[in-house]
Amino acid sequence: MRTRRPSGFLTRRSFLATGASALLANKLFGAPAASSAKPEPALEKLGAVALAEAKQHGATYADIRINRYRQQFSGYRLSPQRGSNKTDEVPFVTDQQSFGFGVRVIANGQWGFAASPLVTADEIARITREAVVVAKANSALQASPVQLAPVSAYTDRWTNAFEKDPFSISVDEKLELIHSAALTIKKNPKVFSAFGFLAFRGEDKYFASTEGSSIQQYVVQGMPLLEATAVDSEKNISRTRSYKIPPASAGWEAVAKANIGENAPRIREEVLEHLAAPPVTAGKKDLVLLPSHLWLTIHESIGHSTELDRALGYEANFAGTSFMTIEKMGKYQVGSALMNIFGDRTNEGGLASVKYDDDGVLTTKFPIIEQGVFKHYQTIRDQAHLVGEKESRGCCYADSWSSVPFQRMPNVWLEAGPRTVTPDDLISGVEDGILIEGDGSFSIDQQRYNFQFGGDAFWEIKGGRKRGMLSRVAYQSKTTDFWHACDGIAGPGYWQQFGTFFDGKGEPEQINAVSHGCSPARFRQINVLVTD
Amino acid sequence: MLSRQDAKNIIDKVIGYSKLPQCQVDLTWTEDVFIRFANNGITTSGYRITQQVSISSVTDDKREGNAVVSELADAALKRGVEQAEELARISQPNPEDMPALGPQKYLTLENFDSFTAAARGDVMIPHVKAVIDRARTDKLTAAGFIQRSANAVAVGNKAGLFGYHTFTDSSLTNTMRSAGGTSSGWAARTSVSLKDVDGETAARISAEKCLRGAGARKKLDPGKYTVILEPAAVDDLVGWLGFNFDARRAEQGRSFLSKQGGGTHLGEKMFPEYVTLRSDPMNPKLAATPWGPSLLPNERIAWIDKGVVKNLSYDRYWANKAGKDPTPAPGNLVLDGQDNKLEDLIQSTERGLLITRLYYIRYLQPQTLQLTGLTRDGVFLVEKGKVTDPVTNYRWNESPVRVLQNTKKLTQPSRSQGDEMGPAIVPAILVTDFNLASVSDAV
Repeated sequence: MRTRRPSGFLTRRSFLATGASALLANKLFGAPAASSAKPEPALEKLGAVALAEAKQHGATYADIRINRYRQQFSGYRLSPQRGSNKTDEVPFVTDQQSFGFGVRVIANGQWGFAASPLVTADEIARITREAVVVAKANSALQASPVQLAPVSAYTDRWTNAFEKDPFSISVDEKLELIHSAALTIKKNPKVFSAFGFLAFRGEDKYFASTEGSSIQQYVVQGMPLLEATAVDSEKNISRTRSYKIPPASAGWEAVAKANIGENAPRIREEVLEHLAAPPVTAGKKDLVLLPSHLWLTIHESIGHSTELDRALGYEANFAGTSFMTIEKMGKYQVGSALMNIFGDRTNEGGLASVKYDDDGVLTTKFPIIEQGVFKHYQTIRDQAHLVGEKESRGCCYADSWSSVPFQRMPNVWLEAGPRTVTPDDLISGVEDGILIEGDGSFSIDQQRYNFQFGGDAFWEIKGGRKRGMLSRVAYQSKTTDFWHACDGIAGPGYWQQFGTFFDGKGEPEQINAVSHGCSPARFRQINVLVTD
Repeated sequence: MLSRQDAKNIIDKVIGYSKLPQCQVDLTWTEDVFIRFANNGITTSGYRITQQVSISSVTDDKREGNAVVSELADAALKRGVEQAEELARISQPNPEDMPALGPQKYLTLENFDSFTAAARGDVMIPHVKAVIDRARTDKLTAAGFIQRSANAVAVGNKAGLFGYHTFTDSSLTNTMRSAGGTSSGWAARTSVSLKDVDGETAARISAEKCLRGAGARKKLDPGKYTVILEPAAVDDLVGWLGFNFDARRAEQGRSFLSKQGGGTHLGEKMFPEYVTLRSDPMNPKLAATPWGPSLLPNERIAWIDKGVVKNLSYDRYWANKAGKDPTPAPGNLVLDGQDNKLEDLIQSTERGLLITRLYYIRYLQPQTLQLTGLTRDGVFLVEKGKVTDPVTNYRWNESPVRVLQNTKKLTQPSRSQGDEMGPAIVPAILVTDFNLASVSDAV
């Protein structure tokens, strides 16, 4: 079949006409008035253009997202000059902004999407027509018409909780913090290099839909890192040790709380201990996994396996499907009864936390696994009916104005164990095992059965006590075997969130920022291997 | 499409706003069209334009600042320059900063196809239809992705350097799964020109793989196996290897090219003589840019030549310290092959496994280049020169260094694309002692 090509492509002329919208992003997304619960009128006016145009051209649903993103990276690398012990101290600072809009429509029962960086009423109307044309053309090959779960109409303005906007802190102060920590690490000449950075991200989002919503949200997030590398040329090995500060939806106060400078001497000593550490002996061992490590195992084995788009086959060509198939919902025993896991976009500090998702749905906290039994998938509006549910669980997200919104992972967290259980209790119950901190190598199959993880630092546990460091550790298991082997989770006082900005899914691939909280937990008799 | 003159005007404008001694501008512009399908129907699709201007400013005493903007309004560009310059003034001197390069002579690369640049749904939907039709005929379920992009990149600096390049790229990937999810097959077609992308062929290959895998899958014990890696699998492994020829890491003891006790393996024969790995920006089948990150002209360079480690990758700073010429960065990769077909590799295998592609590859040890990953979408037993039974998937723990060292036979190379790396021109290879570490129940 032929697709009708709309007139008025973004020509060279219109490309250069962007000069008309001088610094529009800053104008549209000025500092929110503290008392205002309404989006900027100028954004609402632009949004209305898309909704009207879509309806006029036969769309049964439309939404527009006009978004501005800002990212700032600053840091230092301290590493030796060629053939000498002298250190080069290399600073870096980058500030990035991206601004544009994306329009999503349903026409003839099919989704269509188009996006442009030229935020003017004319271009919004043109791009909306493009989205309708795309939808109509594709409707000839649709499996079944899109069905949206009902949603309320909201008019709101929301900002995540933070005390100090990190973009208001001078880059000078940021560089000094990292420089000073890196110098502390390099104080011992046996350490090869020190590297650290502070990354901050701001997401200004405006959403309007034909359901009647008009929502403006601002999310600010940060991710600090400090890393040391040690090299032994005689043995031809190198090892690293990191201080991974939990990335979070938070302000500068999270950086201050991380005590980067105070942790630098510890990282310096531990990288050298890691370099000298003996390799692990392969075999079945008990593992005590700290939150800085376990978050990633939760993410890969439970977070991804309970995504409904995977279970339904929408990711079959790329990220994969899931062992957690539809008929297992509500009855399948994934792991031990100690295991309670929630999907949650409302928890403070979570990287996926936001008040409304990119479908305009008010976000929630919902059980994914209760006492080891699989209860609910992560869903969005066009999926809820496929598992007999009446409403979306608010998991819709697009990583840019130019990306198609689809189902992405909420914060998926493991509930803490009894208040009285401490990490020492978990360790004292281990005869031959390993304590693992921080994330390292990670890989899992496309249906989320077979996984293998490394870590950042490993300590031997012998006779119920933590001993010296080990090296070259990885463990391999099957998701259900691993979670059935969980026999201890520390109490709420030890619960911490870690996470990532870079969870990939979808074609074209998009990233998602997501947090996973947990307390230290123990897993019995897991297969440990020694890496090369 | 952003024309050369448009690009030049924007870059000149940015440089005109700049007050510091050095200013470099990198401009990218992309228009892409894509259709995604699953469960035998189109799911999402889009048309979009994206653009980015990256501005890098440097003071007299080598302080650097960078700003990236997506708006091209005069005021936005001016603000971008001011921001880059503010950051530069705040930052500290970079001892590894190199003086700005003057005008360069860049190669004219032929990897733009105007048919592809203009293609929309009317060109792409028939390929999707071919895949879905094939799936329905064979009672399979298809998922996949077709896309094309038209790209313009430009670079300029205050020292008079200017470069401009346009390229297109396209791909179709598809996965066929049997009812009940007991078998899966995959195929890809990828090219600078959408004319080379053929839905029918891609559908036939993935359907055949899926149907062939539909019987009971053998669960062989983990261990070291002779394997035939199809080009998609080779692309991923060669990609992890090819981007690890950095001289600095090798000289400082952090690479597979570092020698015990110091020094590097440069000049040593580490691989069989029929292994040659190159970067070739002149190859019209692969997208490449005329310049690398340092802005030096890209050119053909061999990393492994007839089994010998021929070159390490020197950036301008490290080359200067080492008293060597800087090398072009590995912008793309070509692994030479031999005059064999895949059938020849199968026929010469007494017992081994034929592997379609790899998945979720990550480092186990960056220094030794030991990787872990999985097989996906078709593993088959080869016995006495013939493909026999379908086999389960495996997790493998292996190094691409050892893989090339253990390579016994190669096919003719073709443009291929794996899971993790961009497209490369690689053959299928026959490899001994490939470490399949554990069984994966995934299909």
